[in-house]
Amino acid sequence: MNNNIVITGEGIVCAIGLDNQQVLQSLQRKQTGIGVMKYLRSAHLELPVGEVQLSNDEMRNSLGITDQYSNRTTLMGMLAVKQALSDAGVDKQTIGDNHLRVVLVSGTTVAGMDITEQFFDTLTASDKHLACVKNHSCGRSTQMIAEYFGLFAEYTTISTACSSAANALILGANMLKADQCDMVVAGGCESLSVFHLNGFNSLMILDHEQCRPFDEHRAGLNLGEGAAYVVLEKEEYAAKRGVEKHAYLRGYGNACDAFHQTASSENGEGAYRAMTEALQMAGLKPSDIQYVNAHGTGTPNNDISESNALKRVFSDTMPLVSSTKSFTGHTTSASGSIEAVICLLAMRYHFVPANLGFTTPMTDGIVPTLGETDYDLRNVVCNSFGFGGNDTSLVFSLDDNSISNIQHSTFNTNVKEVARIEITSEDELAEIRDYVKPLEARRMGKIMKSSLLSSLKALKVAGVEQPDAIITGTALGCLENSELLLRQLTEEGEVTLKPTYFMQSTHNTISSNIAIRLGCHGYNITYTQDDDSLKWALRDAELLLQSGKVRTVLVGCHDETTSMYRDLLHRIGEKEQPAIKSTAIVLTCGE
Amino acid sequence: MEELILELKKKIINALNLEEMTPDDIDTDDALFGEGLGLDSIDALELIVLMEKDYGIKLANPAEGKAIFKSIRSIAEYVSNHRTK
Repeated sequence: MNNNIVITGEGIVCAIGLDNQQVLQSLQRKQTGIGVMKYLRSAHLELPVGEVQLSNDEMRNSLGITDQYSNRTTLMGMLAVKQALSDAGVDKQTIGDNHLRVVLVSGTTVAGMDITEQFFDTLTASDKHLACVKNHSCGRSTQMIAEYFGLFAEYTTISTACSSAANALILGANMLKADQCDMVVAGGCESLSVFHLNGFNSLMILDHEQCRPFDEHRAGLNLGEGAAYVVLEKEEYAAKRGVEKHAYLRGYGNACDAFHQTASSENGEGAYRAMTEALQMAGLKPSDIQYVNAHGTGTPNNDISESNALKRVFSDTMPLVSSTKSFTGHTTSASGSIEAVICLLAMRYHFVPANLGFTTPMTDGIVPTLGETDYDLRNVVCNSFGFGGNDTSLVFSLDDNSISNIQHSTFNTNVKEVARIEITSEDELAEIRDYVKPLEARRMGKIMKSSLLSSLKALKVAGVEQPDAIITGTALGCLENSELLLRQLTEEGEVTLKPTYFMQSTHNTISSNIAIRLGCHGYNITYTQDDDSLKWALRDAELLLQSGKVRTVLVGCHDETTSMYRDLLHRIGEKEQPAIKSTAIVLTCGE
Repeated sequence: MEELILELKKKIINALNLEEMTPDDIDTDDALFGEGLGLDSIDALELIVLMEKDYGIKLANPAEGKAIFKSIRSIAEYVSNHRTK
């Protein structure tokens, strides 16, 4: 029995189209979707964006959804999942008749923020829009998508900022290989929000013109939005169903740059490791790759760092490289799957997508392609890098990997918990001084301190200096900073906001902070499935340990609340939650 | 100038949340970034926000900040020459 994972369906909505065929047409005609803001209610009309050309109400109508607090992220997710299922020839009836275990793995960070930010100023004084609170979290977004279709046995959410959707494909493939399910719908969804548009603006990395990835005169990124999902299954099951396989997901790698929360290292260490690992799993040499869909945001930092990583991997066999963010804008948490679908379209329809906006080669950078027609692509790499240096590479191929993908029958099942530390009160956080200098802790809110402190203590108990992987759960991440940013937006308007608040609003800031502290370049994933976040983190850690790829994993679950949030929970009748709660666990597998 | 230097030190300690530091702990001529105090790119962005808010100085490009934010003294000199409030 082989362990080949194939893709049998895709769905996509983004700025250049509302389905596969529209996206294909825009790519082939070299028509960008980046333009003047139409749907987002922001004062920054000077900033070009890549919007999905549908209003929330148009999406609700087409899906038959009446909840006025349903958010744009989730609605786009539903549209794309619907297409993917239909493309793969899967429906509720087939799933029921065959008792298929189908899992939804979705990546998002924004989730319900676009709705929350509209009503934030009313929430304290009035109950009128209180209903939006329960739709806010990332986990809830995935839950709503799953419940809409009513055919998923399980669902979970990954929030590793801009690599979220790519990591969703990794989890999906690993679950299939371990026979935990029969089919996975994996991808991500992310709408624009005033919150993160202003957040990126405060980091001064938004281009005021159409973005120019890999160009000497590049001046930042344009934000975009959208959703894309692929249907993953084992090759033999697809063959049994008699459906066409579009490509193999032949290799993948996730690594942490462990350098900085918002900047990539000069030599692109994390990106280099992710690509190397993905190629290795695929059993391919760098010279086998014909095309790389780069992360290529258009920021001065990303494009030089990624160029350096690409040169390290491919040296004198550099394949064609382009960033399709020049078409879609940077669709953040959804970019991994949107660009994966673009790669699959390119392979299927024999063309290479252009890198729009490029005119002048950058010093020491790679030179991107302006597009090719009638071009056969057998093996492509798709890069997605997130804040915190969360770097993921996927390898899609038209050929299987018959040599190295034979299923291993000897799974290591001897997983042991060797340390567990819990922090349940703010008083305990003073102990962080024993580990971290005041200057190093200058930007750490209470969740950053409690997660780091509990992790360092657990590693000490376990006698582990550096774990091979860090897997974290959190329902809401750095809630306090997100609330402070929303408050600043409400009180001061769309001025230059405090960058410190924004850089900590991505959920994987917690996990990255630990990785940076430990210099840990290994697999680094964050689950945001509400109360099930820890359960999923542990499950992934066990999958990883059992695969024999790693020997020690630091697993954690961290959440904080604010007085405002505790008041909201009380008013919507949810259970009370403490100001801070951290659990850090060290798992090993050994003889 | 000495007055502005002290004011800047206090504002920077507050904006960057340099817990447990006092103006006396920051040498006026020492490097703020890298080998000196050890600030990073996010701190530079915080300083840009501070320049705009408190002194009406708008820096459009983070790269401009490099020379200005070399030390407390260089910031003070720039502020006294360019402040609009």
